[in-house]
Amino acid sequence: MSGHDSKYFSTTKKGEIPELKEELNSQYKDKRKDAVKKVIAAMTVGKDVSSLFTDVVNCMQTENLELKKLVYLYLINYAKSQPDLAILAVNTFVKDSQDPNPLIRALAVRTMGCIRVDKITEYLCDPLQRCLKDDDPYVRKTAAICVAKLYDINAELVEDRGFLESLKDLISDNNPMVVANAVAALAEIQENSTRPIFEITSHTLSKLLTALNECTEWGQVFILDALSRYKAADAREAENIVERVTPRLQHANCAVVLSAVKMILQQMELITSTDVVRNLCKKMAPPLVTLLSAEPEIQYVALRNINLIVQRRPTILAHEIKVFFCKYNDPIYVKMEKLEIMIKLASDRNIDQVLLEFKEYATEVDVDFVRKAVRAIGRCAIKLERAAERCISVLLELIKIKVNYVVQEAIIVIKDIFRRYPNTYESIIATLCESLDTLDEPEAKASMIWIIGEYAERIDNADELLESFLESFPEEPPQVQLQLLTATVKLFLKKPTEGPQQMIQVVLNNATVETDNPDLRDRAYIYWRLLSTDPEAAKDVVLAEKPVISDDSNQLDPSLLDELLANIATLSSVYHKPPDTFVTRVKTATQRTEDDDYPDGNETGYAESPANAADGGASPPTSSSSVPYGAARQPAPAPAAPAPAAPVPDLLGDLIGLDNNAIVPADEPATSSGPPLPILLPASTGQGLQISAQLAGQDGQIFYSLLFENNSQITLDGFMIQFNKNSFGLAAAGPLQVPPLAPGASTRTLLPMVLFQNMSAGPPSSLLQVAVKNNQQPVWYFNDKILLHVFFTDDGRMERTSFLETWRSLPDSNEVLKEFPGIMVSSAEATLDQLAATNMFFIAKRKHANQDVFYFSAKIPRGIPFLIELTTVIGNPGVKCAIKTPNPEMAPLFFEAIETLLKA
Amino acid sequence: MISQFFVLSQRGDNIVFRDYRGEVAKGSAEIFFRKVKFWKEDGQEEAPPVFNVDGVNYFHVKVVGLLFVATTRVNVSPSLVLELLQRIARVIKDYLGVLSEDSLRKNFVLVYELLDEVIDFGYVQTTSTEVLKSYVFNEPIVVDAARLQPLGPAAIFMQGSKRMPGTAVTKSVVANEPGGRKREEIFVDIIEKISVTFSSSGYILTSEIDGTIQMKSYLTGNPEIRLALNEDLSIGRGGSVYDYRSSSGAGPVILDDCNFHESVRLDSFDMDRTLALVPPDGEFPVMNYRMTQEFKPPFRINCLIEEAGHLKAEVILKVRAEFPSNITANTVVVQMPLPKYTTRASFELEPGVVGQRTDFKEANKKLEWGLKKIVGGSEHTLRAKLTFSQESHANITKEAGPVSMTFTIPMYNASRLQVKYLQIAKKSSSYNPYRWVRYVTQANSYVARI
Repeated sequence: MSGHDSKYFSTTKKGEIPELKEELNSQYKDKRKDAVKKVIAAMTVGKDVSSLFTDVVNCMQTENLELKKLVYLYLINYAKSQPDLAILAVNTFVKDSQDPNPLIRALAVRTMGCIRVDKITEYLCDPLQRCLKDDDPYVRKTAAICVAKLYDINAELVEDRGFLESLKDLISDNNPMVVANAVAALAEIQENSTRPIFEITSHTLSKLLTALNECTEWGQVFILDALSRYKAADAREAENIVERVTPRLQHANCAVVLSAVKMILQQMELITSTDVVRNLCKKMAPPLVTLLSAEPEIQYVALRNINLIVQRRPTILAHEIKVFFCKYNDPIYVKMEKLEIMIKLASDRNIDQVLLEFKEYATEVDVDFVRKAVRAIGRCAIKLERAAERCISVLLELIKIKVNYVVQEAIIVIKDIFRRYPNTYESIIATLCESLDTLDEPEAKASMIWIIGEYAERIDNADELLESFLESFPEEPPQVQLQLLTATVKLFLKKPTEGPQQMIQVVLNNATVETDNPDLRDRAYIYWRLLSTDPEAAKDVVLAEKPVISDDSNQLDPSLLDELLANIATLSSVYHKPPDTFVTRVKTATQRTEDDDYPDGNETGYAESPANAADGGASPPTSSSSVPYGAARQPAPAPAAPAPAAPVPDLLGDLIGLDNNAIVPADEPATSSGPPLPILLPASTGQGLQISAQLAGQDGQIFYSLLFENNSQITLDGFMIQFNKNSFGLAAAGPLQVPPLAPGASTRTLLPMVLFQNMSAGPPSSLLQVAVKNNQQPVWYFNDKILLHVFFTDDGRMERTSFLETWRSLPDSNEVLKEFPGIMVSSAEATLDQLAATNMFFIAKRKHANQDVFYFSAKIPRGIPFLIELTTVIGNPGVKCAIKTPNPEMAPLFFEAIETLLKA
Repeated sequence: MISQFFVLSQRGDNIVFRDYRGEVAKGSAEIFFRKVKFWKEDGQEEAPPVFNVDGVNYFHVKVVGLLFVATTRVNVSPSLVLELLQRIARVIKDYLGVLSEDSLRKNFVLVYELLDEVIDFGYVQTTSTEVLKSYVFNEPIVVDAARLQPLGPAAIFMQGSKRMPGTAVTKSVVANEPGGRKREEIFVDIIEKISVTFSSSGYILTSEIDGTIQMKSYLTGNPEIRLALNEDLSIGRGGSVYDYRSSSGAGPVILDDCNFHESVRLDSFDMDRTLALVPPDGEFPVMNYRMTQEFKPPFRINCLIEEAGHLKAEVILKVRAEFPSNITANTVVVQMPLPKYTTRASFELEPGVVGQRTDFKEANKKLEWGLKKIVGGSEHTLRAKLTFSQESHANITKEAGPVSMTFTIPMYNASRLQVKYLQIAKKSSSYNPYRWVRYVTQANSYVARI
């Protein structure tokens, strides 16, 4: 390779694709290789180079591995969008899989497995069968992974062709790389299958434990993770396993260490000898601590895992609390986790040391960290009775520094301390009251008010203090209002004098008549009724002794902890959530819908397009033949949408809240006609809200046609819309008119749009970024595509002569050309009518050889004309489009539009 | 297994993007970047290295200002993915010599070739530069390393120390030298990062050394290497945890824990503390170790704050280098947060000093004192006069500090762990490659409370 690869990223102003095409077909090898590199470069920056498919595939038959790899990379990317052409590559693949060079054999199998085209899959089986038995381990290990690839595309095929058995045979392979990949592939297949495929017997166990010692570090992780599913028969076996795994704790790779820890922890559950357990704990501690010397990212993962481990086996790290002290240069996410663990490990023995640390942290710069440190002191006070007094004195010291957020945080935790140790530390209330006016956070305010109410009888001026809050009662947040209400009632019950009596009137009035908050109102009425019917009963209720709280220290529920511990060294242990709450793995086929932003997504028959969606919806969803297809197009099914068992009258589509928008349009009266709108915000993303939208031109006016479907469980209202800066300055001409949407309801609306409002700089782009909000949900953002033809004005018609003059007057550099190999014009007349309907005006037609050449004109606002020449053979695929315009930078947008129009 | 791997620039541009499974939408890079840039969750403003958005799990590590990211939909081992991301960065650096946006863009074909061998269908195959050499055919285009920030712990050898060749840092393991011949050389770096926390009265509250013996070999034919460490080296603290040896500077070196690269054979380690290995190509840690045994901290920090009249205070900072005078620390920076209501700070250095600078960072109210070098045994003082906009609530010392320090000390290691000898299995009597054994100590978290 010569020169710098980055030169491939530079582009010529016009005709990049034709130029590349020429170079790809060059007779010189080097030139072809360079051209393929350029194509790959274009591909990585997101340009659509799919039209070069045939030309690139032609370069595939080469002995040059470097070039071959590049072509394969291209194939993997585009085969999905060009399934018919991809078949051209099959012969070379099959040939390559028998090449004498093992690298080429492996490469062929590896690449074929990545091409997710059904037709190719059939041809994959024979080469795969051969490669699974190849002499070269590199080929075998690649083939092992390929079985998992194939299973993902077509599970049945894998089972029918006996690949699972071959894969299981590979577990006994003499090459550890092959074993590791076979294990990884089997584990994945098992994960996606309901029947037992990969069961670990004591026989496989011992084989794998042996392979463990020779594997690469990554292979060790695969094997350890697979083995962690194994349940030892008894304590003896468990001890044996642990003994084989323990040396892995010494590995430099953190992933190996954590997977080994997981394995050991699991087997420990079976081990009955306390000596063995104690010994194991001792062995695990140093490697766990060593994980904290790794990069901060890994430290974070280690800390989240350690957090779980110490909840089950606190002794492991009981003596290591020092290593969890925060370093000043730790990232905040590490510091926060360390604090959690420090609280968990805090004991009567080390509390002085720990408090000293917390106190230091509480004076640091980072506000969030400081707050957490203050809270940590409180939690230690609650957890360790004998240390409570020391904790409180540290809190008081901190309050005296009078840093606002420290004071507020301290008051919140002191409230909890009072709950834990009633009637013990009330002497500090006076100090707390000094900070009363500085409180501005709801939680701190509410806590302080609770303290005043709870101890009203000991605070001489409790009524004055509460009264000072009452003036602003209507403006306070609900949390504070509720506490004020309760505290005033307590005060009144404890000191039924004149002052409190007046106060209670004011509060009850405020909390019943003047409020809209049902919680507050209900509570106020209950107090009111209690007080007016039986004040003594009110006392018994309101001033009843409260149960003493205990320290939760963010302890997890035991059953959850069990599940998480079984998932040590997985994401689950980092999120502290069971896997099924966040794993949303879908079969890859279902993912196709998400390829919308794929540059060529709309041009292919396979990808989702409005027309396809209509077909899919029209066929009964239960018909087995269309299931993979239909499923592919549906974004994750909305839970509220039942599939209709029998044909439902279209009219009802809206009423029963079907999320299948294909049923809605067509015959539906009242709303505007037109094809179904593309879904831009699927219900799965929008928490049940689904938005479909498209720009449309109508009588010289531009509209944004929107369909809102509410599949959530709540009524959504207060819809608003906003458009980001875009190349055409498109913006809403008025507010969005959407009525409140009950669960299951949908509505369609036309939003008038105006141009040139808020133009973005830079080259024209078809990107339209839209934000929609309502009162119940977060703001939703989605992207739409501006299709230029909606802007075509009705004054775009040109006379023949002026067309010719304009064409000549524009320099040749303003001419841009693009070919659409996949498009066919079957009837000139229909096409002309259709184009005319979008204000693309027919001017003339001529014959050139067997081709028809059509000329059109069109105009977009601000008087920018487009002169268009379409060349095609009627009834044959392939349309060439050349345009001339004063603004050639608009050409890509124009081509997108014309492509859409011709396809429709 | 992972679904996608990509590298983003600081601005969020896609530099490399590889999709291995096609199960995560293409817009993931954008979603990721927006999420990280505007992170605000759980009261934190920095995104954790692992998070989930709409069912997609994102992992990232930052390497020389670039974001290395992986996505997945399944419940994978997060340490595996994060470790993998670090390793990919290292492999790419081994190949390109320099890891930067520029070098990645110039070598994108090579990078994709590497990525195809490193990961297949989301499963890690290998991250060993040595193994990859047999499958990867593109040659790197070496970019100018002059102004680029190097990667990894050995990077500290780039910093102005004339005694050591910096070439190991930016030399590609596969590209040939301009002369066509490779120089036979091997680098063994003993790199220690030390963390010390001093109490306000100068006691050591915590101290820790994270050490690495890093190796980078350019020897042809991969001969066997033997590394001998201190004979009295012992591993694992006996007895109680708080049983620190009082003596420092003598006695055996005791490591809390250590681990080794998989190429290391420990046959005779228990007997004579030697490590035998056939070093693979590329940079790799032979051994990582951790030590909390008491050691002599290289610097003592002394800080005094006194009120000096109405709305005024004076800070006196003293730094004393407690290592031999033939050793020099460089790029020393001392920092200290000042009370929030500080409006002005004027500085007074010792008369006649050179290579020192002082700064008051107005935005985060921080004092910064930079010293180009500190010779062993010397002591330096800084006086700063502060002006406040309001009265202090309590004790000023509670609202300032702690003092933190960063530094690099070449040819010094705090643990006293040593490579006694480095033996290369001889091919012939004339074979005598360059051997570089280098020590360096760096501050990790070096803090004095006041």
